[in-house]
Amino acid sequence: MRFLNFLLYELGLRAILFTVIGTAALSSLYLLSIGAPAEQYAQAGVSFVQMFVGSGDQAQSRAGFSAGEIIASGAAVTFPLALASLLFLILLSLTSASLATSSTFLAKDHGHVKSGQIFKGFGFVSSFLSAIPVFVGFWFLGGIYGISPPFILIPILLVTIGGLGWDASRFLISEMRRQLDTTHTLVFGTLGPPVGRVFPLPGTLTGYLVNSCAPRFIPYIAGKVPAIIGSVTVAEMVFSFPGLGRTLLDALLTKNTDLLISAVFVLLAVNAVVTFIVKTVLFVLYPRWYEKAL
Amino acid sequence: MKKLSKILRIVGIAVLISPFVIAWMPFLKDVLLAGVSPAYQNVVFGSFQQLTVTLLTTLAVAMVVTIVLGYFSILSMGFGRTSRNILDGIESIPAILVALFCYAPVSSFLASSSQSYSSVVSLMVFVFAATITTLPESVRGVALPLSELYHRKYSVSFRAYGFTKGRILTILMNSRTMRDVFRRTSASILLRTLVLDCSFGFIIQLGMGSYGTPAHSSPGALIAASRDVMFNANLTAGRTPLMFWLPVILLVSVSLAFLLLLGNDKEAE
Repeated sequence: MRFLNFLLYELGLRAILFTVIGTAALSSLYLLSIGAPAEQYAQAGVSFVQMFVGSGDQAQSRAGFSAGEIIASGAAVTFPLALASLLFLILLSLTSASLATSSTFLAKDHGHVKSGQIFKGFGFVSSFLSAIPVFVGFWFLGGIYGISPPFILIPILLVTIGGLGWDASRFLISEMRRQLDTTHTLVFGTLGPPVGRVFPLPGTLTGYLVNSCAPRFIPYIAGKVPAIIGSVTVAEMVFSFPGLGRTLLDALLTKNTDLLISAVFVLLAVNAVVTFIVKTVLFVLYPRWYEKAL
Repeated sequence: MKKLSKILRIVGIAVLISPFVIAWMPFLKDVLLAGVSPAYQNVVFGSFQQLTVTLLTTLAVAMVVTIVLGYFSILSMGFGRTSRNILDGIESIPAILVALFCYAPVSSFLASSSQSYSSVVSLMVFVFAATITTLPESVRGVALPLSELYHRKYSVSFRAYGFTKGRILTILMNSRTMRDVFRRTSASILLRTLVLDCSFGFIIQLGMGSYGTPAHSSPGALIAASRDVMFNANLTAGRTPLMFWLPVILLVSVSLAFLLLLGNDKEAE
């Protein structure tokens, strides 16, 4: 019953409804700003539905793309890029938070001041990397590899520069440092677990801290999905990846309303699917925290 | 020692943020940008002037809306729940999409209008888009600590003296904790707007091939316009790699200042 409620709320209400409302809002904004007559609004809605339920030929003649092609470009390029970026973001924040928290722990409880100073330098470097606009990094990558750089470098660049990784790491570091001073962590520390300096493996002190912070970290990560999708869209526009970003820009340039609405819908659907995956992780691992967050 | 490092940090942030001030001193053009053409000097100074205006206007509008929404979200539970759902919906749309949809389609309208009129409309459209995209995080950032303050012991004693909820919230809004929250929120709004403005300028330049739109120039668009000088060996006269790197360095400098401000605050928090 609980799981059914979860599905109904997250998939039915939030994912599907927000995607439909978001598409309707953005499309209306577009039609409003180009001064479209009233009948074009209804026509846009009808052709959107026809594109997804009608024949492929019909969609090809109206928008230049069939629904299958738009969904395929989202599934083949945008979705994996967003998912890879999300995974790398989690990995980076876990590693940097472990390094920072273990440095604090060692400096405070064992007098290892040097490790704290090393981390301060690392913090400044990460702040500097975050200050570099993500599109400058993409263009630089383009200069080295041309318009088709290795797929894996895009998520790495997207997270490392531009502030996404910095913000997520900061969030987790401050949460873990807060947990470090709590009584239950102190009790766990007396059992003499390994510190887990580089990565918070289970059984280590940092692993224990991450476990305590996860109920707050997972919703935070879910909130970052739209920013990741936005950056992926920018990457697709800069490079020659035939994803939704490129389709969207082409649609805007050619003022192809049908294609534009379909591309926005699929882009928001990708966004909703990735957010739903993160929320499912929270629900499965920490159901009480999930309900509390509601 | 701690005081010295604090002073050094403040000086460092002031130096990093100086491009915004220097942009309003056109007499420094020839001194600071001696190696580049006068036309490019004008574009660099102009884009940073516009960025300053955009950031300040967005900050003013977004902060007012944030404070009002944050206040009423705690004052009325129903209003708070409704606004949270709406803001959640807005947050689920990538910011760059919101800006593209608000802005790009009106570019032809702006091109056909007079320079002064289109400048104002262009700024208004962008401020609207930037405010919308920054609101979910900033309202949450204000409403959460305000709610925490309201449920603390001293707020309960305020209630015992017969203060109304609205009056207690007004008092709490003026507290030191909330002033710190407003400062953090402002830095966050500035950073998000800066990123949005430049990414958006870059995309528009990439797609539409002009300096943003006719009335909205941005350092991001300037970087996109000069991107060929980085990797093109056969450069025409007057085009140097400096034309790409200069706006990049200035942009990194101001972003770093905001990040340091935000980082400081988060550590203090």
